Amino acid sequence: MILTEDQLQDLLDKSLAELPPGGDRAVVLEGSIAEGFGNPSSDIDFLIVVRSEDDLPTMPSLLFVDGRRVEIRTRSVRQLADQFDALQKGAGRPGRLSEDLLNRCQRLLNSHPLRGHALVDEVKAMLPAERFARIAADWWAHQARQSLRHAMALLCLGETDEAVDWTRAGLVQTVKSWAAGRNETYLEPKWLSMQLDRAGRPDVRDRYWELEAAAPASGDPHAARTHLTDCLAFAGELGLTGVPWRPERLTVERVAGVTTWQTDARVHVVRARREVFALGERAGAVWRSLVLGRPLPRVLADASGAGVAEPGPLLAAFVRYGLIRLAWKGGGTVTPALPLAAPPGPVTPPPSTAQPLLSVRGAAVSGPEAIDLVPLPAERFAAATMALVWSNVVVENAVEDLTGALQRGQWRVAELTARRAVHAALRGLFSAYGVNPLPADSDLVRRTDLLPPATLPLRTRAEELLRRAVDSPESGDALLADLRDYIALVRGTSGAEAFPLSFDSADTWRATLELGYDWLRIGAYLDAALPLEEARDLLASNGAQPHQAT
Amino acid sequence: MADPMTVLVTGASGFVGAEVTARLTGAGHTVLALLHRNGDIVRNSGRKVSPGPGTLTRLPGDVTRPGLALTEDDRRLAATADRIVHCAAVTDFGLPDERYESINVAGTRHVLDLALAHRTPLVHVSTAYVCGERDGVALEDELDVGQQPGNGYEKSKLTAETMVRKASAEGLPVTVVRPSIVTGAARTGRSRDFKTVYPVLKTITRGLVRTVPGHYDAALDLVPVDHVADLVTEAATRFEDAEGLTLHAVGQVLTLRDFSDVLAEYPSFQVARFVPPATFSASALSDRERPYYDRVISLYDTYFRRRVRFDDSRAAAFSGRPAYAGGRPYLRRLLDHCLRVGYLGGPPPREPAANPTDGSTP
Repeated sequence: MILTEDQLQDLLDKSLAELPPGGDRAVVLEGSIAEGFGNPSSDIDFLIVVRSEDDLPTMPSLLFVDGRRVEIRTRSVRQLADQFDALQKGAGRPGRLSEDLLNRCQRLLNSHPLRGHALVDEVKAMLPAERFARIAADWWAHQARQSLRHAMALLCLGETDEAVDWTRAGLVQTVKSWAAGRNETYLEPKWLSMQLDRAGRPDVRDRYWELEAAAPASGDPHAARTHLTDCLAFAGELGLTGVPWRPERLTVERVAGVTTWQTDARVHVVRARREVFALGERAGAVWRSLVLGRPLPRVLADASGAGVAEPGPLLAAFVRYGLIRLAWKGGGTVTPALPLAAPPGPVTPPPSTAQPLLSVRGAAVSGPEAIDLVPLPAERFAAATMALVWSNVVVENAVEDLTGALQRGQWRVAELTARRAVHAALRGLFSAYGVNPLPADSDLVRRTDLLPPATLPLRTRAEELLRRAVDSPESGDALLADLRDYIALVRGTSGAEAFPLSFDSADTWRATLELGYDWLRIGAYLDAALPLEEARDLLASNGAQPHQAT
Repeated sequence: MADPMTVLVTGASGFVGAEVTARLTGAGHTVLALLHRNGDIVRNSGRKVSPGPGTLTRLPGDVTRPGLALTEDDRRLAATADRIVHCAAVTDFGLPDERYESINVAGTRHVLDLALAHRTPLVHVSTAYVCGERDGVALEDELDVGQQPGNGYEKSKLTAETMVRKASAEGLPVTVVRPSIVTGAARTGRSRDFKTVYPVLKTITRGLVRTVPGHYDAALDLVPVDHVADLVTEAATRFEDAEGLTLHAVGQVLTLRDFSDVLAEYPSFQVARFVPPATFSASALSDRERPYYDRVISLYDTYFRRRVRFDDSRAAAFSGRPAYAGGRPYLRRLLDHCLRVGYLGGPPPREPAANPTDGSTP
């Protein structure tokens, strides 16, 4: 140890002088110095063990003694017994064993007794060192398997550099498992070099450093594969099982709460019912080719068969975003974690900046390989898109009514109907930009200030149309013509130009309805409110055309 | 265990019949298995029924013919049966009426003749869908309440069950078990046969038909084959408790909304939009979709409209178990199994299938 017994006793005396006196208790030195590692800047970690059934506070006391940082924790014998018990019970499922629990047990078992040696021996006897070494070795082996399997998957997916990083993580975890099996159980990888130096196998140590130092060239799949294969072979030599180079054992599996919704050609993937990802054409094709449960190499082949030349990075992104998960046959979900870090969990990309956000055919995307996060919560996405669809239906309906009113010289009816069309078109515009719930009709023009400046000309024209009076066939026809121009402009801006003209024929009406039903289906899944009375009417009337319903 | 007895099982190689046969021989009973065709009796697990500790005797026969076309010796053997379990039926949809008449109606008539000859207690396997086209709760004690059968299959099963009830009124000891739509095993989702709802799932998930007439709150009742076989077997072995009863062997209803939401969990699956039947027009489907609609989906149209639920108070009281409440997780297990064995998940064929897909039945 870097400190002598006398130095330690002196530090302890000074530390205890600052704490209230206790009854039947023992004190140990834990951590790197007790392990025989450490340096002058290492903390001094004392653990006070109290013969008690109580719950003692978890927070340590922090002191500065002789220029050193001293941490003092307290645990009752009962708490320590619980700790060892939890570790033993969880040992069968290393994937669920918390690193913190493992660390606490390890530090105590390898501690250096300073006071109350009998009590320390009694506590340490609760978990034999060999048993702990086995548990720690299994835990590291589990971590190593995850990292190496993940590296294997990334290599298959063409994410070469990422694969190299995970190979390296797996290498550390493998050698930590091996060292733990030889009673080098200290968890922190920081002192790995010293652990390997005293493990008595220079051949292993040297091979480890050789592999650790290897630096496959960036973006070179052959070099990355060779490195991984070498590491797998080394892992095998050290007794790690369950990581043969068998990518076909990796399967693609469902993540709970991830669903797929397609409208027209746009594929939307909803994560956890909260977030919507809009997939570009190629990303959508790869996603649609995914058959759950299939081996990764076959999934890649299927995706290539769907016409996407290099589907790997897209699949890797799906995994990264938590839209699918990878499993190892017989080994459960692959959950890689860097040494002594929590598994990273799904990544969320920045929200999409595509504008306008929505069209009747789906969310906008930034490109064919896009996996764009729609910057709206899922239910607002569904509500806004339904509102967009129905406002288009209402525009069509209102124009139809306006034409009829003009034919019969009903000028006042024509004015009101034109206003209805203007408002409906504005509602569509707002919806395309994701505004939901919508402002009241009377406030629609004013609230165009919520929209980007490019929409300003629409505001001016809407104001003009809303003021327009009709008192003759000529003024009526002019209004109709201007209204049509205005609607075309709104549609151009809101991306609804591809929307079928609903009332042209039975077929186009049916196409409209189908699009409406597709959105209602998504809306129902997301528990979004049906946005407009018209949507409710449509369902209540069993979808009959309005002019046929009466 | 009940005293060993001899049970004549018709349709012993069928989806339910094979499981019932396995359970009876496994419990030490002797099974006289009426088989229309030579071949093994294969369980839902894919393994052959290996008799034991009870014995299994094959009786070649044909329910469509009087006396079940049994030889004289076999007829004598059949007369020794302590119970008859009548599983034999055609369950496919869209067949000519004569097929339903000869197998489901005349077949039941011939089995009743045999049962009546020796007053042999009969367990008749019917279908919960004798309830016909109606909404609301269908009770186990109801039979003919003036309902409109949804198709020829339902009509034939209603006729058959009515005949069974009449024989019961004339003194034949009878129990009727009515399964709903029989699907894969509860725990694994495994299914030996891909009939009933399976061809519909295949057609829809491959996107071969994208618009289907139906209501999102219409309900399909799926029941695992093992639960049906358990109840049928129990009715035979505890006949004294089951006599006179009609038992619904049902699961938890799944609405079309459930189907829609669960299918959406599978990236490769297309999910049909269900549209109100009043707006649906088969002639508006594309040329590619229409043949699949006609051959598969149209046979099931009636089930996409019904909002029926099956009361199972009597079955629950008899068996001491509530109806199987598998819900959406069960549907996932069924779909996962289909993916595992490749029944679902492949790309759609380039051309419509040459032969009609067998739509089939509850």
